[in-house]
Amino acid sequence: MTRKKKSEAVDSVLIRRLYYFFKPYRWWAIFAIFLTLSAAFLGTVRPKLTQVAVDDHIAIGDVDGLLWIVILLGLALIGEFFILILNTYITRWFGQGVLFSLRNSVFQKIQSLHVQFFDKNPIGRLITRTTNDIEALSQLLSDGIVNMIGDLFRIFFILYFMLMMSWELTIIAILVLPILFYSTFWFKGKVRVAFLEVRDQIARLNSFVQEHINGIMIVQLFNREKKERERFEKINAEHRHAHIKTIFYFSIFWPIVEVLASVAMALVVWYGGARALMDQVTFGVLLAFIQYVRQFFNPIRGLSEKYNTLQSALASSERIFDVLDTENEVYESDTPIKLDKVKGKIDFENVVFQYNEGEEVIINDISFTANPGELLAIVGATGAGKTTIINLLLRYYDINQGTIYLDGVDIKELSLKDLRKHFGLVLQDNALFSGTIHQNITLGNPDITREQVIKAAKEVEAHHFIKKLPGTYDYVLSERGASLSMGQRQLICFVRAMVYDPKILILDEATSSVDSETEELVSRACQRMMKGRTSIVIAHRLSTIQGADNILVMHKGKIRETGAHKELVDKEGGIYRRLYELQYKDQAVTSKTARN
Amino acid sequence: MESIKKLNQYLKRYKGTIILGGIFLTASNFFLIWIPVLIRQTMDEVEALGAEQTGEYDSLITILFSSEAGAVLAYNSLLLIGTVILYGLLLFATRQTLIVSSRKIEFDIRNTIMDKLLQLPQRYFAANRTGEIYVRATEDVGRVREYFGPVLMYTINTITRAGFIITMMIIVNPELTYWALLPLPFLSAFAYWVSGFINKYQLIIQEQYSRIAGKAQETFSSIRLIKAYNRIDYEQERFEEESDQYRKKKLKLDLVESLFHPTLNLLIGVSVLILVWKGGIMVIDGLISLGNIAEFVIYVAYLTWPVASLGYTVNTLQKSLASWERIDELLSEPVDILDNEDEISVSEDIMKGDIEFKNVSFKYPGSDEYALKNISLKIEAGSNVAIVGRTGSGKTTLVNLIPRLFDATDGEVLIDGTNVKKWSVKHLRKSIGYVPQETFLFSTTIKENIAFGVDDASIEQIEKAADNAQVLENILDFEKKFETLVGERGITLSGGQKQRTAIARAIIKEPSIVIFDDSLSAVDTKTEDAILEHLRVKLSEKTTIMISHRISTVKNADTIFYVQDGSLVEFGTHNELIKKEGHYSNMYRKQLLEQELAEI
Repeated sequence: MTRKKKSEAVDSVLIRRLYYFFKPYRWWAIFAIFLTLSAAFLGTVRPKLTQVAVDDHIAIGDVDGLLWIVILLGLALIGEFFILILNTYITRWFGQGVLFSLRNSVFQKIQSLHVQFFDKNPIGRLITRTTNDIEALSQLLSDGIVNMIGDLFRIFFILYFMLMMSWELTIIAILVLPILFYSTFWFKGKVRVAFLEVRDQIARLNSFVQEHINGIMIVQLFNREKKERERFEKINAEHRHAHIKTIFYFSIFWPIVEVLASVAMALVVWYGGARALMDQVTFGVLLAFIQYVRQFFNPIRGLSEKYNTLQSALASSERIFDVLDTENEVYESDTPIKLDKVKGKIDFENVVFQYNEGEEVIINDISFTANPGELLAIVGATGAGKTTIINLLLRYYDINQGTIYLDGVDIKELSLKDLRKHFGLVLQDNALFSGTIHQNITLGNPDITREQVIKAAKEVEAHHFIKKLPGTYDYVLSERGASLSMGQRQLICFVRAMVYDPKILILDEATSSVDSETEELVSRACQRMMKGRTSIVIAHRLSTIQGADNILVMHKGKIRETGAHKELVDKEGGIYRRLYELQYKDQAVTSKTARN
Repeated sequence: MESIKKLNQYLKRYKGTIILGGIFLTASNFFLIWIPVLIRQTMDEVEALGAEQTGEYDSLITILFSSEAGAVLAYNSLLLIGTVILYGLLLFATRQTLIVSSRKIEFDIRNTIMDKLLQLPQRYFAANRTGEIYVRATEDVGRVREYFGPVLMYTINTITRAGFIITMMIIVNPELTYWALLPLPFLSAFAYWVSGFINKYQLIIQEQYSRIAGKAQETFSSIRLIKAYNRIDYEQERFEEESDQYRKKKLKLDLVESLFHPTLNLLIGVSVLILVWKGGIMVIDGLISLGNIAEFVIYVAYLTWPVASLGYTVNTLQKSLASWERIDELLSEPVDILDNEDEISVSEDIMKGDIEFKNVSFKYPGSDEYALKNISLKIEAGSNVAIVGRTGSGKTTLVNLIPRLFDATDGEVLIDGTNVKKWSVKHLRKSIGYVPQETFLFSTTIKENIAFGVDDASIEQIEKAADNAQVLENILDFEKKFETLVGERGITLSGGQKQRTAIARAIIKEPSIVIFDDSLSAVDTKTEDAILEHLRVKLSEKTTIMISHRISTVKNADTIFYVQDGSLVEFGTHNELIKKEGHYSNMYRKQLLEQELAEI
């Protein structure tokens, strides 16, 4: 009981919050309700008019009067027609409007959230929030509520007209309603269960098909065709059975509705006929009642259906508001310091980071300095914390202890925008978007001209291959750049980093996925990009970092060795030295095979 | 036309039931029209009685239960209720026969498709996107079902109901019939147009919907980059553009949809209006009775849905047939790799395990480039060989030719001196244990997964295979042991556990040739050593082919083949190849480096 109360309270909060998005359209909604009211009246007045036509005009042979009533009927009909169209369109229009702003808000909110939120929530779930969950509200927001009100109006008017003509006959006509309610209720319950079963069976069947298309090779290699076919037949039979069960309920329910409607008609004729003999009910009334009985059944069925829509819509909106309520864990300073001319000095001072309290420490008391124009390299095994350093520097996460400085200013004092604009970032999984090469390079920044793009492309020697593509810089990348080679994709990412002319360049394993042919081109491009910039490079290949001013050798969140290349190589028994020796041999071989 | 004939083949088995359903439906409509007829009759009789004896009745009870008029009323009403109940029962019977049959036919079609899918050669799966094939086997079948279900039922319903009602109407008054039916053809045409538009537009909207989802996916999965370049506002703008497009397209559909009900309403209303007007004049002229008007009003109401559904039915029919054509295409696909009875020379002999490739070249269907170029190699029975090379160099393609997952474009693959094409496929595959690169386990129990290729495997066999693949301990750690469910509804195995289960699945068959396609990549080196050691003992008699990127896996092989760009460029033992200082030794050095990096 308390649970139910609680969920009702939650529902009312949800409705109030939905109303916030609805507010700009509230006058339209009121207008729509007014239209619904008029349509409900015009729709239900027609049987009444036929009654008047029959009793007051046809019965006494008054052709002129009949014509007037027919004209009124026609007007009511046409009026209802236009009002209904207008009403449906308006409700859909503002429904789409609400969905539009809701969808955009959810997208905006998700985008603005801290990076850890994306680590915790699978991308698929976030997409569902911005698409499916919004869509589930569609029916409720567009015609759901207005139609529900319309159905209520209709029932009200029908009852009003019927009572006006004959209260006795009204009671007779609605005598079957309890049975209709009961059977609808029964049907809803049964069908819901049956539909759940059908849904399960469809899912089972489809996942079997999916699985066997994917695993067809195994099936064939293991000579399992016959066995799998038998298994499928079993699942298929259960699927069929679930459907047939649903058909059973439908084939009971629809006839019952039809039969009830006709029974109501029969009762009206029986009782009304007797009353007609007493001259207390006219034929016109009988005719009107026959029409009303049919009209009455629709809104009642409609109402029970819409209740279900409402339920599922509320469930979706709960999930949507959950996202909208998520708090951003990376706070921006209220009074940010503005940095005009950045030189590019970076300091880490006793930085400690862990994702959550009590969990493993990812970065353990790290301090280092990178001076303007210097090249800082970080090496270490997977999971040593190399990438985390970059994530902290860009404030994807906030550190637990210590301070990070950019040009001597704590990065927490800067606005996120102001901080990040000084960095050029190239990641391992060279991310390209759908769109042209130009768009991929500028990321839609209209301030960057084609000349700037070409200049940057020439700088990293990407211009050469882009020029050869059909449409050059307007070449549209399909499937996120699948038509280009890894090296080419990487070069585009380089151009992207260069075109913003950042003070600090970050290369996170930027050269590791490049094939041997473009490897040289890419590393040459790297060298050029680093010139005059502070660079932080994470690399597997030591060749890229030999010229580094400072190398951090990381292990399990700690810096194990640090120093310039030469210092580290000279260090007897050092880790870097061992790596370098192997590397040296490798290079000798590479150059040898390259010559072959 | 040819394909429709094939589709109608499925009807045959249920011919009796369907004909019966048609009869039920026709009969139900026959009883349906008696409802308005009875109402008219009652009204006419009341009118007649009323004209004779006005004012005589003063008690309702007397009229209803003890007068002649009461008897007439009660008789008619009971008749009406009886008719209605009969109608309802027949409607029930119709759905139970026609719609149920459609589900049974759907069942048959699904089985046929699955049958076909299981037989189709790998070539087909390589040339077609799995998503497409999936749609054929799922959604398309659903649409074809509508041909046998709703389309058939609505068609019979429309024809018989309209037939009866119109006949009845004409008997009563041809002129009024003509007037009352006037708006109905428009209704049909309109419904056709609307449902066609909706079908077409739903595709457009679906596409726009995917674009929104795609945009969200793109942005969310590159969020670091977007934040780094401060492009959040731009992404928002782009998303809102798509979102706005969606709204606009949806509204266009809404506009058409918002026309549908009002127009339906209007056309039916016009019909009633004409009835009141023309019928009213006819009543005044004494040509028909008031009861006739009531009757006609009900007739028109009864015709509304069948007539409107006509338009919908035509569209559904078109969609069903389009889906069927796609299914038919799948079903007509040749299954060419099957055994050719005349050519089979080996179907029972125990395989020794000699493998030879003679100038083998291979091209994937639809590709211009050769994936394998003139490969010749020999693998002796009982030997242990390895194939190495870069990703995409053709290693997997090469081993796929052995169990005839594909057939060589040129050249020959021989096993025990006989071309693989002359082996019975069943026997050939039974004698080869294959552990594929992408471990694929079915979502059943671990036991069933391991025993996949062996009928009635004993639990001892399964345990032994699991033990040999070093996965027994893991399995016994699970609460349900071998009965543990794998996959979505069960537990998620780690990559290494999956690979080892797949190995157990391959070796339980006691094959003569075992192929490991990079099958130990997710296993740590220690476990790998243990597995290799076990297998070395267990598989010493068997021919083993091992594809791997890891030197540690391959260095003890009798022969190592290095493949590059589809050609065999180096082969020999580990030591020989190291001395050669070629591709293999280069790869070896790199790996040593990486190992060092991992171990600091």
